[in-house]
Amino acid sequence: MPKVTIDGMEMEVAAGQTILQAALARGREVPHYCYHPGLSIAGNCRMCLVEVEKAPKLVIGCYTPVADGMIVHTASPKVIQARAAMMEFFLINHPLDCPICDQAGECRLQEYAVEHGTGVSRYTEPKLALSKAVDIGEHVMLDQERCIQCSRCIRFCDEVTKTGELGFFERGERSQIGIFPGKRLNNNYSGNVVDICPVGALTLKEFRFATRVWYLKNTPTVCGGCARGCNVMAAVGKQNTMMTTRGQQDDRVKRIVARVNESVNGHWICDVGRLSYEREQGATRLSGPHIGGVAASYDDAVAAASTVLSTGAKAGKLGVIASPRTVCEDLYAWGELTALMGGATLGVRSLIQGEDDNILLRADKGANSKGAAWIFGERASEADVLAAVAAGKVTTLLVLGDTLDPNDTATAPAGVSVVYVGPFVSGPAATAAVAIPSASWSEADGTYVNFEGRAQRVRRCHLPLHDARPGWRIAADLAQAGGLAMPAFTSAADVLAALAKRPGPFEGVSVEAMGLLGMPASAPAGA
Amino acid sequence: MERILTRNIDKPEALTIAGYEGAGGYQALRKAVTSMTPDAVTEEVKKSGLRGRGGAGFPCGLKWSFMPKEVDPKRPHYFLINADESEPGTFKDRLLMEKDPHLVLEGSLIGAFAIRAKAVYIYIRGEFVYGAHVLDRAVAEAYAKGYAGKNILGSSWSCDLIVHRGAGAYICGEETALMSSLEGNRGYPRLKPPFPAASGVWACPTTINNVETVANVPFIIERGADWFQSVGKAPKNTGPKLYCLSGHVKRPGVYEAPLGLPMRELIYELGGGMLSEDRPLKAVIPGGSSVPVLRAEECDVDLDFDSLAAKGTMLGSAGLMVMDTGTCMVAAMARIAHFYHHESCGQCTPCREGCGWLERVLNRIEGGTGKQDDLDLLLSVSNNIIGNTICALGDAAAMPAISFVTKFKDEFKHHIDHKSCLSGTVQLQGVR
Repeated sequence: MPKVTIDGMEMEVAAGQTILQAALARGREVPHYCYHPGLSIAGNCRMCLVEVEKAPKLVIGCYTPVADGMIVHTASPKVIQARAAMMEFFLINHPLDCPICDQAGECRLQEYAVEHGTGVSRYTEPKLALSKAVDIGEHVMLDQERCIQCSRCIRFCDEVTKTGELGFFERGERSQIGIFPGKRLNNNYSGNVVDICPVGALTLKEFRFATRVWYLKNTPTVCGGCARGCNVMAAVGKQNTMMTTRGQQDDRVKRIVARVNESVNGHWICDVGRLSYEREQGATRLSGPHIGGVAASYDDAVAAASTVLSTGAKAGKLGVIASPRTVCEDLYAWGELTALMGGATLGVRSLIQGEDDNILLRADKGANSKGAAWIFGERASEADVLAAVAAGKVTTLLVLGDTLDPNDTATAPAGVSVVYVGPFVSGPAATAAVAIPSASWSEADGTYVNFEGRAQRVRRCHLPLHDARPGWRIAADLAQAGGLAMPAFTSAADVLAALAKRPGPFEGVSVEAMGLLGMPASAPAGA
Repeated sequence: MERILTRNIDKPEALTIAGYEGAGGYQALRKAVTSMTPDAVTEEVKKSGLRGRGGAGFPCGLKWSFMPKEVDPKRPHYFLINADESEPGTFKDRLLMEKDPHLVLEGSLIGAFAIRAKAVYIYIRGEFVYGAHVLDRAVAEAYAKGYAGKNILGSSWSCDLIVHRGAGAYICGEETALMSSLEGNRGYPRLKPPFPAASGVWACPTTINNVETVANVPFIIERGADWFQSVGKAPKNTGPKLYCLSGHVKRPGVYEAPLGLPMRELIYELGGGMLSEDRPLKAVIPGGSSVPVLRAEECDVDLDFDSLAAKGTMLGSAGLMVMDTGTCMVAAMARIAHFYHHESCGQCTPCREGCGWLERVLNRIEGGTGKQDDLDLLLSVSNNIIGNTICALGDAAAMPAISFVTKFKDEFKHHIDHKSCLSGTVQLQGVR
């Protein structure tokens, strides 16, 4: 392996690595705009210029491979001078939009201007005036003035989605990013160009002017949109209620962006997942527990549900239909509960819609289909439960509603006594004998197992609405009400620890082991 | 001297293949293909000392020798002829293509033979409509006579000749931008390495030469490297050269002379002297608009690669722009800056943003609204561009700016201080 010296640090670097990669790996920040680890090298921003001893001029770190004996300086006077020069060039035609720009606060141009710029501009000529709001797609707006022409978005559409909607038009300083005539940026990954845009040139329509980014609290979590389990960062408004015109509405998910995980989604997420929070946050919530359509207290509802379910179980006629988006903890707790009550026919809804798109999106929309199969059994299906209902073998049904999309919830057949536990007024919620609101996708901690058997942590991004509680807690409360010997869980981690004690794929899985990037769990032997 | 490259330019019959053959044409190609190996051709060109006539002066034979000696069938070799002659003040390749197209084709084919090319692409500047027409006709004749196409001159070597017209971008004269353009992509220069011999057009081994460079090759093959060495200044500045003389001279035009022609001989003897007796020489841009300017007192110099380099400038494309004392150097530089501003491809930051900035500041100075700091600003912006760009266009814009500002500082200062022009011929009203 080549030995190089970067800023006095000697290091061995794998052959083929670039100076930028080697420096970043050792914590040396080399500023860059056009370089993106998920895209090809463009080398056009010239921000990552570094000094290599014996080279006639500065070289770009993103493109220059390390060579044995190379001595690199990333902060020499020459480099610092060049960076200041590049910053000045970037800013001469960049509008002073920061006060109204959505990128402000997470803008590379702002950051590097402070870090590497001189603070003043010597440019006194009028700036170029270009289009400020070009509608290029269903979700994306383009501001050509803010663009610094790093070409990340073009490369993304060429290399990742291979749809090639974007390109450069015109020449020189008049050159602009634009959309090809007759095309729209409507591929299912279009939101990623907003994520990778280092400035505010590309903005997401759904997030435009929604809030300032410093009013957001970011929570690393996992997308509930499909069985891929893309790692995401969910941002929730945290403005004091007094400061918003929409009152407490601010405590909601405002956007979802991709979180890098090379083992799952790389750098990208799809638009369906990116906007999945809209369905969750916009749906009508089950505002409180009710018994037979009449609002009831939580304790009363729990007691009633316990009675309905245990009666059904004792008669051997209890069935469970769970959404494949239910986290492992809830499934385990409900599974334990029904077993203690006397057993039940378990079933998991199937959410196969469309086809895999060979990028990220899976046909199976059940974010925890694999986990559900491992806990409820590979053959536990909704169809079996419904068949049992039709045959009169099941007369009491526990429906665990979908945590993300109200439309994906099971509809219970007539003639059965239903206990519904879910976040939304959907499926059998309105007609259920007992309905108890549970936390939705963004409101509770839990574990998803993606289609490849990777266990990943879903996190609570904000407090649950209304009286909603995590499903495992409701199950535990039912156990207590029914006098059943279920451990007194106090957190999702407790439930997971109990699940991990059971022989099977969850052995070794824990909150700590999963960390931010998840861990591969193994399928049960013979499955 | 004997006219070599321009021997046919006043013979209209040379436009046809019969006329060209009648003057001894295609004998060099025949000699190369039927009696020499590709490596022997390369070796001969190497020995001749022929240096690239496009601007950089890179040794031609050495460039050819970078090509792989074996052809990988999956990665055929290509020979590109850079006929995108766009450098302001340069008009020599156009003359060759329009007046002696078969010389260009013969040189191209010999080069293609030397590098074992599958095809020659002549990338001609879009505005050269007539030149492209003449070349197209010549290509058809060459095919008909068996000088191009399958099994050339009965050998096992086949090679196609294709004339490709550009769409009007100066940047496509940059070799890697030319390749991008030829591939149908935007004319953006590429990051180097890889160099063309490793991965050029369509990611195949590629050699690219200027039109005038390959026009020398038939003579090297026919008469030998030693003869070529006897023309010009051996060992490193050999062979005949076309000089493009323009500006304030009595007889502007293309002049052929051995490399190393004294500049004053070109201006005062071949060019007939300065245009007006009462306005003597003030400055010369010796190699196309992108090279540093020379003041009159620096003009005792031979026109060859190394002599001009010693003066801090370049032979470049040998486009000499002669300026007399009636020239406003601020206006001249503003015009040059306008060109580079217009032609910058916009791919990389310093050139994209810097070229327009330079022009605007120069226009301001020229128009009489310059500020005291502007000269420092011009130098600083230029220095911030130089060496920091992907290709040489940024340097091409910045180098003349630095030389104009430092060598004619008094004129620039006069514009700023007095809002009038020292040369007395330009009224300061508005800017172009």
